[in-house]
Amino acid sequence: MMRMVTGNYAVAYGALLSRVDLIAAYPITPQTFIVEHASEFVNDGLLDAEFMRVESEHSAMSACVAASATGVRAFTATASQGLALMHEVLFIAGAGHLPIVMPVVNRTVASPIGIWAEHNDTMPQRDTGWMQVYCEDNQEVLDMVIQAYKIAENKKVLLPIMVNLDAFILSHTVEPVNFPEQSKVDKFLPRYKPEHVHLSPDDPMTVGSFAPPEYIQEVRYQTEESMLNAKKVIQEVNDEFAKMFGRNYHGMVEEYRTEGADAILVTIGTVTSTAREVIDEYRAKGKKVGLVKLRFFRPFPIEQFIDIAKRTKAIGVYDRSISFGSGGPSFIEVKSAIYGHTSIPMINFLAGLGGRDVMSDDIELMLDKTLEAAKTGKVEKDVVWIGTRGVTP
Amino acid sequence: MYEVRFHGRGGQGAVMAAQSLADAAFIEGNYAVAFPYFGAERRGAPVLAFARVDANKIYRKTQIYKPDYVIVLDDKLIDLINVAEGLSKDGMAILNSTKKPEEIQLENEVRTATVDATTIALDVLGVPITNSVMLGAFAKATGLVKIESIEKGIMDIFGARIGERIAKKNAKAARTAYERTAIGTCKGGRIFKKEKKWLPTYKELPLGLATRAMKTDAGLVGPGSFVENKTGSWRTFKPIIDKEKCIECLFCWFYCPEGCISRTSNGLKIDYDYCKGCGICANECPANAIEMVR
Ligand code: SF4
Ligand code: SF4
Repeated sequence: MMRMVTGNYAVAYGALLSRVDLIAAYPITPQTFIVEHASEFVNDGLLDAEFMRVESEHSAMSACVAASATGVRAFTATASQGLALMHEVLFIAGAGHLPIVMPVVNRTVASPIGIWAEHNDTMPQRDTGWMQVYCEDNQEVLDMVIQAYKIAENKKVLLPIMVNLDAFILSHTVEPVNFPEQSKVDKFLPRYKPEHVHLSPDDPMTVGSFAPPEYIQEVRYQTEESMLNAKKVIQEVNDEFAKMFGRNYHGMVEEYRTEGADAILVTIGTVTSTAREVIDEYRAKGKKVGLVKLRFFRPFPIEQFIDIAKRTKAIGVYDRSISFGSGGPSFIEVKSAIYGHTSIPMINFLAGLGGRDVMSDDIELMLDKTLEAAKTGKVEKDVVWIGTRGVTP
Repeated sequence: MYEVRFHGRGGQGAVMAAQSLADAAFIEGNYAVAFPYFGAERRGAPVLAFARVDANKIYRKTQIYKPDYVIVLDDKLIDLINVAEGLSKDGMAILNSTKKPEEIQLENEVRTATVDATTIALDVLGVPITNSVMLGAFAKATGLVKIESIEKGIMDIFGARIGERIAKKNAKAARTAYERTAIGTCKGGRIFKKEKKWLPTYKELPLGLATRAMKTDAGLVGPGSFVENKTGSWRTFKPIIDKEKCIECLFCWFYCPEGCISRTSNGLKIDYDYCKGCGICANECPANAIEMVR
């Protein structure tokens, strides 16, 4: 069934279709409607879940950790400062192998206080042991909430996951979304039956205990192994979903018109959609450009980028956040992924910080600069700020 | 460079002893470092502290596995763990013991110094905390630092932490030990059961360390595993409840950190398998019904 819904509604409905058992969330703009819709679903009897009103995001994540440790499907959603407040508990969910799904409406982190799209809320959480996927439209948001549970609960993975959507550009935008049938989703996503952690008086376990250095490094390796295993599982789940529901997101990255491209632009989040249009225009003019949509940031698609880099002459990477003093997170990762495999020039483009609109012109500039680098084999500047007053791009 | 390993129990001040020794060596113009190893510490649990002394800047940042000297603050530890593990052949063990060095048996025959540190501590300080005492013994036994420097080190470290008055008492305790330390050679050939450790591979380790009760080479782990860890062996003083005085207010039951006091139809009972002798119960009892007996 097609319906006109916001990204926030798609998130909440994804949780409903996933038959979550516990929702613990604290409202924050622009995520608030997720919490409202979810509470209505529970109130109206559409969703048989425990709805916990908590006093903060820190408590929301703590409640999810505890609930997940009892073996139920836990759900929360947040944004910006709310995610920052959860930070310490994120590690507990990650190392604890608790497959919690958390949509994050990407919003700038103060200061200055802003409510628009920036990825500086989720990017700093990259080392907490959570998987991360970035969405492009509301359909992908709904589909990824469902897929997220299936990936997270896979016995070879068992890690929590953030499903990221850009503030307002998705969260508050209505567009047509195909709602899958519950019976089909049930078939795709059976009930969660954990063995590794299942707090119950009948089967006592120690969870979250103290551990001396003799054990912690092994626990770290467990998380790493799960992350590496996830790469394959993400693809399998993607393919199974595509078969059942007819929508294919191509796994960790999606390539768009990369055949024979001299210059490839890597984008993350909603900028991808605008970039598709510009790529089409350039291709129509005979310019050899292609697009790679970076979907999963954790685990990072290292192998995919090694392969892509071998097929092109220059790579530009767009980021909606910056690691000050270094560059955009996606740029840093892509560069490190392809190191030693090729020596093609790479450029980082920063635009749209704080939610400023990223225009077609901006993307044209990115493509032109990457094409230029492909031609000369050189770059003038590694990190290019676009549309920043007083800064020459 | 010489390296010293301190064995003690949480609350005996092994860390302050290591710091005071390093301070004393520093006063004499050396470079010195002191550092603790903290495990799941609480009052009474076996702990380690280390000190390294050299004429030049010390770069090594590891713990000490092959010490030149071991100092043992707790007289019962030498029967429980192999305190001389890794001790160099030319090294020396400096022990809190009522015995003469010749009556002591360790893993190997090594130079040994003994002093009845618990008695000195009780006489001079009024508490069985033997850290400063053992430093006096170290000065006497090794001659590596002057007792005056040890006293100064104690004044620096203890003075800053617990005040000058008590620091002075500790310096005096060190001096007393310096005068009473016996030096000789211990017997070797004592066999210690190698402490078994549970060292699973990452695959054997329960995922995320969510652990069900299970048996490992090193004993039980997970819920309920504490039944094997009899903290009663940590005890120097034993609490005795006077049933006549006890008003059954249950304060002691509430405050006991080991949870080893229970109420029976025949008054309160202490489980001495787990009572570590901390004395909190005696301190909290409003009826003065608990006496701590050595
Ligand atoms: S605190 Fe003292 S009086 Fe109260 S129950 Fe314990 S022993 Fe008895
Ligand atoms: S019974 Fe008293 S001395 Fe023993 S552990 Fe408990 S509080 Fe400490």
